Formats: sequence, C-alpha cells, structure tokens
Amino acid sequence: MSGVEQPVSTVRRVKQRSAIAVVVVAAAAVLGGCARNAPQDTFKPEGENARKIQNLQWPVFVVAGIVGVIVFAVIIYVVIRFRDHGQEMPRQTHGNPTLEIGLTILPAIILIAVGIPTVSTVFSLAKTSDTQCVVNITGQQWWWEYEYPVQNCGGVEITEPLVTSGELVLPTKVHVLLRITSNDVIHSFWIPKLNGKRDAVPGRIHPLRMEADHPGIFAGQCTEFCGLSHARMRMDAVGLNSADFSTWVADQLQPATKPTDPLALQGEDVFRTQCSRCHQVNGLMEENPDGTDSTKPVVAFPDLYVIAGNAPNLTHLMSRTTFAGATFDLLTDSCRKTLLDASPEEFGALYLKGVTPECFNEAELREWVRNAPAKKPMYSSEAQKDENGGKYRGMPNLNLTDDQIDQIVAYLLERK
Amino acid sequence: MAIIERPSTVPALPGGDVPQFATPASSYGVFRRPVTTTGWRSWMFTIDHKKIGIMYGVSAMFFFLVGGVEALLIRTQLAAPDNTVLSASLYNQMFTMHATTMIFLFVMPMAAAWANYFVPLQIGARDVAFPRLNAFGFWCFLFGGIFLNTSWFLGGAADGGWFMYQPNANALFSPTHGVDFWSLGLQITGIASLTGALNLIVTILNMRAPGMTLMKMPIFTWMILVVQFLLVFAIPVITVALFLLMFQRVFGAQFFNVDAGADPLLWQHLFWIFGHPEVYILVLPSFGIVSEVLPVFSRKPLFGYKFVVFSGAAIGFIGWGVWAHHMFASGIGPVSVAVFSVSTMLIAIPTGVKIVNWTLTMWGGKIRFTTAMLFAIGLIVEFTIGGLSGVTHSVSPSDTQQTDTYYIVAHFHYVLFGGAVFGIFAGFYYWWPKIFGKMLDETLGKWNFWLMVIGMNLTFGPMHILGLQGQPRRMVVYPEKLTGEGFFNLHFWNTVATVGSYILALGIFMFLVNVWHTTRKGATAPLDPWDARSLEWLTTNPPKVHNFDVIPHVHALDEYFHLKYEEVDTDAGPRLVKVRTAEELHEDQEANADKNIHMPSPSYWPMLVAISLPIMAYGIIFSLVLTVLGGAILLMAIFAWALEPAVADASDYDPPPQGGEPTMELANV
Repeated sequence: MSGVEQPVSTVRRVKQRSAIAVVVVAAAAVLGGCARNAPQDTFKPEGENARKIQNLQWPVFVVAGIVGVIVFAVIIYVVIRFRDHGQEMPRQTHGNPTLEIGLTILPAIILIAVGIPTVSTVFSLAKTSDTQCVVNITGQQWWWEYEYPVQNCGGVEITEPLVTSGELVLPTKVHVLLRITSNDVIHSFWIPKLNGKRDAVPGRIHPLRMEADHPGIFAGQCTEFCGLSHARMRMDAVGLNSADFSTWVADQLQPATKPTDPLALQGEDVFRTQCSRCHQVNGLMEENPDGTDSTKPVVAFPDLYVIAGNAPNLTHLMSRTTFAGATFDLLTDSCRKTLLDASPEEFGALYLKGVTPECFNEAELREWVRNAPAKKPMYSSEAQKDENGGKYRGMPNLNLTDDQIDQIVAYLLERK
Repeated sequence: MAIIERPSTVPALPGGDVPQFATPASSYGVFRRPVTTTGWRSWMFTIDHKKIGIMYGVSAMFFFLVGGVEALLIRTQLAAPDNTVLSASLYNQMFTMHATTMIFLFVMPMAAAWANYFVPLQIGARDVAFPRLNAFGFWCFLFGGIFLNTSWFLGGAADGGWFMYQPNANALFSPTHGVDFWSLGLQITGIASLTGALNLIVTILNMRAPGMTLMKMPIFTWMILVVQFLLVFAIPVITVALFLLMFQRVFGAQFFNVDAGADPLLWQHLFWIFGHPEVYILVLPSFGIVSEVLPVFSRKPLFGYKFVVFSGAAIGFIGWGVWAHHMFASGIGPVSVAVFSVSTMLIAIPTGVKIVNWTLTMWGGKIRFTTAMLFAIGLIVEFTIGGLSGVTHSVSPSDTQQTDTYYIVAHFHYVLFGGAVFGIFAGFYYWWPKIFGKMLDETLGKWNFWLMVIGMNLTFGPMHILGLQGQPRRMVVYPEKLTGEGFFNLHFWNTVATVGSYILALGIFMFLVNVWHTTRKGATAPLDPWDARSLEWLTTNPPKVHNFDVIPHVHALDEYFHLKYEEVDTDAGPRLVKVRTAEELHEDQEANADKNIHMPSPSYWPMLVAISLPIMAYGIIFSLVLTVLGGAILLMAIFAWALEPAVADASDYDPPPQGGEPTMELANV
C-alpha cells in the first residue's frame, strides 16, 4: 500500500483550515454588526422583538462555535497522533459504553440549556394581548398593501381607514400588531431589524408583533418564493415619533389635491382614462362633458383586471420614497443618502416632506410608466393575459405616448 | 467454475405421484428471452444486481453533471449584483431543477447504486430477493429522470421551487407544463424508490449468510436498511401529495384552493412530512459508507457499533417528528413551533453520537490517508459544520431570521454536499477496485479531494455570511445599492462563492479525469487492496456473476478481517497476527465452490413496464390517447412478466456450435 500515504502536514493544514473556516463563520456572526449599510443584517436589532431573538441567538452561535472548535481540535489531534507511522496493528476494541453514554448525555444537557429559553422566547414573541395598534397587511404579486383600521394607534386617533403600500409607517416605541394575509400566493413579511419573518398565506391571517426603537427606515424583503418577480418584492418599515406619526396620519387622510400645474392637469385626464381602472386616487372625480369635475368619485376596479384584485393606492404616492413593491427609488441618490443619514431627531421632518421636485428621481418612474413589465418581470403581456383567463398579474405596458408620459409623471409628482 | 444448471426435477409428492404444474412457456411474444451475457443486451435486460448497481451509478453521475451545470449557471448569475446572465423565469426553473435533480436524480439513485451493488455482497447473498423488480426500479428511475428533463425542451421546466408550494405552483400562477412534468416525473422515480426499498428490506431480512445476525451485519447494510424503511413510509406521502397536485393542475381539483375553502398549508405539511425524512434518506447511506471506510483505514473496528446502529435507527424514528421546522415562519402557532423546535434539537443527539463514534474509531488507530479516507474525514468535518449551523436554527425564533436566507442554503449544502456527496466519493475510491478491478489513481484522487474541499468551503462558507447579512434565497438579482459596504458586503462574498463553485467543478472534473485515466491504464486491483473488513472483499474483483463460489458462514462482525487476523498472546501482551491472506481465502472459496448455482435469467418485461409509465405521463400532459396506449403496454407487460418463469428455458439459448439441441447447461456466466 505504498504510494497512498498522505503527508501529515497537508492533512494538518486542512484541519486547521476547516477550523479557521468555522471561526470565521462564528466571527462573521459577531462582526456582522460592524458592516456599514447592511440594511438587512439579522444581528443588528433595532426593535424589541428582534432584540429578543438576538438575545437568544448570539449565545447559541457562541456555544455552537465552541463545540465546533473542540470537535475540530480533537480531530486534528487524532489525525496527527494516530497516523500510520509504523506502529503495530491496534487492539480491536469495540467501544466503551460509559464514555459513549457520557458523550450522549453531554450534548443533551447543552440542548436542554438551549431549549428552555427557546420555548419561552417563542411564547413571548407570540403574545398579542399587549399590542397598542393594528395594521392589516396584504401581500400580492409583487407588492405589499397596508391598511390601518379606525382605531387609537398608540395614542394617535385614526378616524378613517387608511390605505398605503410599500412603506409600512409605524409609530416608534409602540407595540404594533401586524395581521398578515395574501391575495394570491404565499409571501413572507420580513423586516430583519424589527422581527423575524412571517408568511402571508391566502385565507389565513397571521399575527406578528413589531416595534421600532427610533425613527428611521428599516429595509425588508419578501422571503417566501412567490414567482417571477420574487426578487423585486421589497418593503420598508418607517419609524416616526408620535407627533410625526400623527402628522403623517392626518396627511394620509386628506383626499387628493386638484393639480395646479397645467401639464399635471392634462395628466389627470390621462390618469382617469388609463390608470384609474386599477389605481385608486381618493378624491379624484369623474369629469363632466364640459371638462369640470362632477361629484361622482372615480372608483378603481382592479379585481376586473388583475388576478390579485388589487393595485397600489396612489393618492399619496409622493409621500412614499419608493414604488412598485418598494423596488425602485422615487428619491435621487443624494436625497436618499441624506434621508438615510438623518439623525433620529431630524428624520421625521425630512420624511414628511415627501418627494420634492428637487429630490425627484424622474428617470425610473418614467421608465416604469413607459413599459412596466420591461422594468420588472410580470405576467402582463396580452398573450399572458389570455393564458390567465383574461387578467394580468402585475402592470401591463400601456403603450403611452411621450406626451402622455410627461403628463402622467407631472400628475403623479403632485400626489403628496 | 460455476455452471448455471437446469432446476432439479419436480420432487415427487409422498405416495409417488408427480404433481401437475402449469408450466408457462418462458417467452411471451416473438422474441426469445435475452440471455446473452455480452453486448448491450446484457445491460439493457439484465437483472443482475451488480450491473443494475453500475447502471444506477452511471445514470446518477450523469444527472449529477446536469445538476452541476445548473448550479454553475445559478452561481454565474449571482456573481455580481443586477446581473443578467439568466432571466427571472429561467433562473426560477434553474434553481427548481437543480434541487430536484440533485436530490431525486443524483443522491437518491447514487445511494441506490451502492445499496444494489454492495448489500448482497456484504450479507453474503447471490442477488437481491426480487431481481426483476430491481431492474424495473432502475428503469423507472432512468425514464422518470429523462421524462422530467424533457420539460426543458417542451415549454419550460418546473419553476415553483423543489418544495412546489401552493398556490404558487397552481396552473394559474405557473402556466407552463413544467410543474406537470415535475409531479409526474417524480411520481415515476418514486415507484423506483418504493420497489427498491421493499426489495432491499426483504433481501436484508431474509438472505443474510448463515450466522450473520442483525448485530453482525455490516454498518453500511444497517444504514441502508434504516433508509429503506424511511422510504417505505415517506414515498407514499409524497405520492399522495403529487397526485393531489396533478389533479389540481390537470383536472381542476380543489385540494389547495383557498376560494373553495381549502388551506394551502395542507401542501406544506404533506410535502415536509415526506421532505424531512428525505433528508435522512439522502445522508444515512453516506454515513454507512464512511462507517465502513473509517475502520478499514484506521485498522480498528467501528467504535461503538451498537451505538451507531441504534443512533441510525433513532434518527430514522425522530426524523418523522421534526417536519414542521421547515414551517417555523408559516404561521402554525406558538405551540407547534415550540414542540417542533424541541424535537429538532433532540435529533441533534443521535447525530452527534455518530460524529463522536467516528472520531473515536480513529483514536488509537493506525491511520492511512488514502483518498477514500480523506473524503471520510472530510465528511466528519464538513458535516459537523452543517450540524452545528442546524442547531442554531432549531432555535425557532432565530430561524425566523434565518429561514429562506442563504444561511439555510449554506447549512444544507454542508450537510448534503459535505455529508451525502463526500460519502459517495469516499465510496468511489474505496469500492472502485471491487466494482471494476482497477485502482483509481491516488494522486489524481488527492487533487480531486482537495479541489472539492477548497471549492465547497469557498462556495458554501460565504453563504453563512450572506444569509446573516440578510440576503434571501431564490433571488434572481440582488440590487447593488443594498449590498452594503465593508468586509461583509454581499457583492464580495457572492463573487467568492461563485469562484468557489468553479473550483468545486474543477474538483469534480478531476474525478472524471481519474475515471478516464483508470479505465485506460489503471493498475489492476489486488484481491484485497485496503486490508478490508467486510464480506464483499471475499470474492474476486470484479465479483463473479454469482458473487460467492460458496456462501460464507459468518461468526463475527467484520467477518472478513477475522478470517485474516487472529489475536495471539505474547509476552508483551496480546498481538494481532495475520494468519491467512486474501489469496488463500479466495482459493478456499474456489476449492469448495457450490456445485449447483441457480441464477435468475434476464427479462424484457421490467423495462417494458417501466417505459409505459412516461408514455402515460406524456399522455396526461398532451393527449389522453397516449395514456391509453401506455396503459395498454403496461397491462400487457405486467401480464407477460407475471407468467414468465424465473429461469430461462433451454430453447432460449442458441444450440452449441458443434450442433445438437439448444441447452442452458453450457451457458457462459
């Protein structure tokens, strides 16, 4: 059997390397907190619930790391110490029951130590009796809708149901109860810095607690595979302090303003004919034959056109900073950076300004209005519509002219 | 030299009457039975467990390369943010088929290959209990796998993920035929698993050599036995689920339709009740292989054989009580989550036992670092990493952060690549001389091993970081502006993982080079190249058709080792002395060869039954006419099979060249 001996040094190297790999992984878990701008870092809680998870998981990672290092140290020792260096054939021993039972009980004890806090955390995270605000969340291909029912939300009165999408605005330091469901396939709602994920299953309502420590934007992403544009179904949670949240609620309950800009006024007409079949703008009225507004509101019927039966409400599009499943930015890069870098004290005021004309990232919205499915894959071509029983999944290409696009964009820019 | 003989004449009943048996003619149809022992026919219609094992292995390795190319495409797409190598639609098909191929068409049939080839040899049997059923199983797997992959050319492959969650995999949300191909194809390969499992259970329980009690059975055979029981109970669950899915998609049934009052979580429960035992189905055969390899190259018995057997069985049992840990985020309620969290921690205990026992097997040994041994040690190390990351997400609140991120992808690749695949490769290097009579080259083997170790750790190691940084799975793109900055930014580690996957591919390429090199000019294997311990090494390399000239009587665990070595007392204490060589043992075998060895004859029917299944499946997708045609072939072939005797008739053989009646007496085996 000559020629199959392995130089010890090489074996030793791989063992060491493997051990290093484990240490690196363990270190990654800890040092992950050092990464800047890692918006979905799972080891950087910024809310009560995520912190409960963090307090549970870091000791588990440390224990797992230590166990790993011990196992690898033993393997390295064995591989070096008992390599074939010409020693006699070993005794044919078949085991040592005492040792084996001991080495079975030891991990069992470690696991009991892990199991008890796990179970208690599970129940603590499932508690809903102390929540102070409710938001109904609905997932659909490929965006999230948030509905705030009439309630006192952590001290702020919400007097009419309020519907928004993309950015989930939460009052800080308030236990919010999210009631999560879906209009079509299964999605999963996940804001890593605020809590773990919870699936949105059609026909079921799943509760999830959420609380933000301080004002700011907390990134998230749909994490249950939901089809073609799963990668482009994002969401953000936005924390606002009590006063700012109150202002935000009041703003959101305002109906749409009549456009002032002439281009935007033309855009309103285009919107009425092209967009309002699916997209609701509260306060938009039907047009009389003489061109004046009637008293009859325009009501969207998305259930006639899209399988999910829903499309984002655009009444206050420009109060949000993203669109189309929180995938594309309404803010220019520099304004986005200013917002992300704002101190918790300044953040609220800056966010409530919405998208100002100086900060407006016009290019992306134009591309979207020009040909949405080219920007985000959706089942919304005419052929796919026929395949799907006459309904779209997602927004179709409306084949608008350049003029119409200018007008629509001008109209949307005023939807604060 | 063994001769296949005509079965002895029918014994007379007491009283002297000769009983009247119906004796059907051996060949239904216009063809004679395919009794040749050379050429392609000897492979196509074989029912020899060794040839079937080789065919399982070759087919599985082919699908391994297919799944590997799919993996490389996925990694290439993810090498940089906002990449455009694959479209969203193609990417979804790619990751669905990568998982499906690797699980159902590589690891499972590769385990079937090892089991088919080595279980009869290890228990001292001449074949499996149902040789034709065995051939049928293989063809079901191959035809099912090919059927599944034809979807690429017939409108697109399945795009719902290998877990095929409802309602996303419904006809409404996945309008191509991909998911239909998937459900029907897996139904067919499921038949292969089920028949194979029943066959091996009967074989192991009934056909062990005299003296081989269950606790003297080689550990590989034990692990295979546990896996076959898992298959017998798990495959029916996925069969039911796949039927519901097929009826929902093809015939408009409403099993998972919310509007009709159904609950999509039903699918998840059905899928994971199959899906979790499936994990152990994938990994336990490899545990069996390394439990053979480690003792041989440490020159010590497996430490705590009974502990390893019982921990394997314990994994088999507890494996049924942990499925909902795939559903911690599904909204199943805190009580279920807590219970499944604890049961999942519980299964870490028997798994840990195996790591401990493997390490202690090497302790005090005389370790030879052959390639097979390197892969076995590699498995201990990589699987430990996968096991420990598994413990971190048995902590369910922690799992709600990690599930559906790359952390999970890292975890199960350490378990399945570092576990199942490393075990399979240990098997290649350990058993190649037994199967082909030639030694795989050790130098190329070392290249193979080190490139694979480096490649796999570079590919899957960074995924721990990516996952904990919040990169979800199944994303065709990740946006540049959300990759973060600094050492842990997603772009850098994704690129590292992609580079790692190419190194891994290079490692596997080295294996192919090694096979090519060995086939052309590999060294002929000695009878007992590794100084092995179990019965498969008692016969020649490659083994004779009938495996053993004489069925051995077993007296001990590691029977073959104890035939060669005895412990003698010396002044310095007991010493192990070699008393017989492998050559002497083999001469003993030949000298005492059994006079009459009856081997079953090849048959067309298993293959014909199997080929009717994809025909019926195409029919369900495209036109029911094909289904009727396939059904007709199925009925006819089953009928012919049922009436075919186990052994070919003399008239199936050609007359001897010197003239005279056709006879099977002179059949060359």
